Amino acid sequence: MGPFMTTTKPPSAWYLNPYFHLGLNCVLMAASELLLKVGATKQSGIAAPEWLKGTGLTTLGSGWTIGGISVYILAFVNWLYVLRWIALNLAYLVTSSVQVLIALGAWLLLGEQISLLRWGGIALITAGIVFSAQASAQAEEKL
Amino acid sequence: MTLLTVVLVLLSQIAQVGGQVLLKRGMSQVGKTPRRTGPIFWGLGGGIVLLTVWFGLWMGLMQKLDLSLLYPFQGLSPVLMVLAAGLFLRERAGWRTWLGVALITAGTVLVAISVPGGSH
Repeated sequence: MGPFMTTTKPPSAWYLNPYFHLGLNCVLMAASELLLKVGATKQSGIAAPEWLKGTGLTTLGSGWTIGGISVYILAFVNWLYVLRWIALNLAYLVTSSVQVLIALGAWLLLGEQISLLRWGGIALITAGIVFSAQASAQAEEKL
Repeated sequence: MTLLTVVLVLLSQIAQVGGQVLLKRGMSQVGKTPRRTGPIFWGLGGGIVLLTVWFGLWMGLMQKLDLSLLYPFQGLSPVLMVLAAGLFLRERAGWRTWLGVALITAGTVLVAISVPGGSH
């Protein structure tokens, strides 16, 4: 909680509701990765040495990448607001859904083919994040 | 996925988790009295450098790999966080955490060996 807060209760307006913002954060994170992926794909064909492409620098030439970075920064600010009201372990629990959102987005919006094996792996990872949310939140707070 | 790709993915995840931790450590010193400029400088500076490395490697990989193949590796960051806590803070993890780590590890292996489409 910041030093300027005078109340311990979150604002009652729906657009300031912390849980609304937690949900919004998942959508923003997914949107940011999808935009970054479009930017990276668009720049992957340009003429440049492989090592330079490997640094990711050349992807900055696409407006999609810049858009992805902008949404990422927005998500970061939004995350700070979420953490003002919601415990880190609960926030981690909910953001595990980003794994599924991104897979759905890659499949439906980017047309990626996702095999059954890959869906299974993504499901296991999502479940694993749920189980380890408490420990990783504690670790992040202490490290 | 080639071995080089796997190594680069792991490096990017280590850089990300390291960067987050350093940034947080630096931020937690800001506004404290007496001001300790050293920890603030190394925390924020190191954090920004590592997060830049993460982003660069990540975008480098994104040009070659499907998002549905690459993004699941982000699931390794809670595993790395738990490992770092065990290594540096001697924190012992409970069974829930180990189950979570095992699920993430197994899932990551499945994703890494998966090929697009089909029934594989």
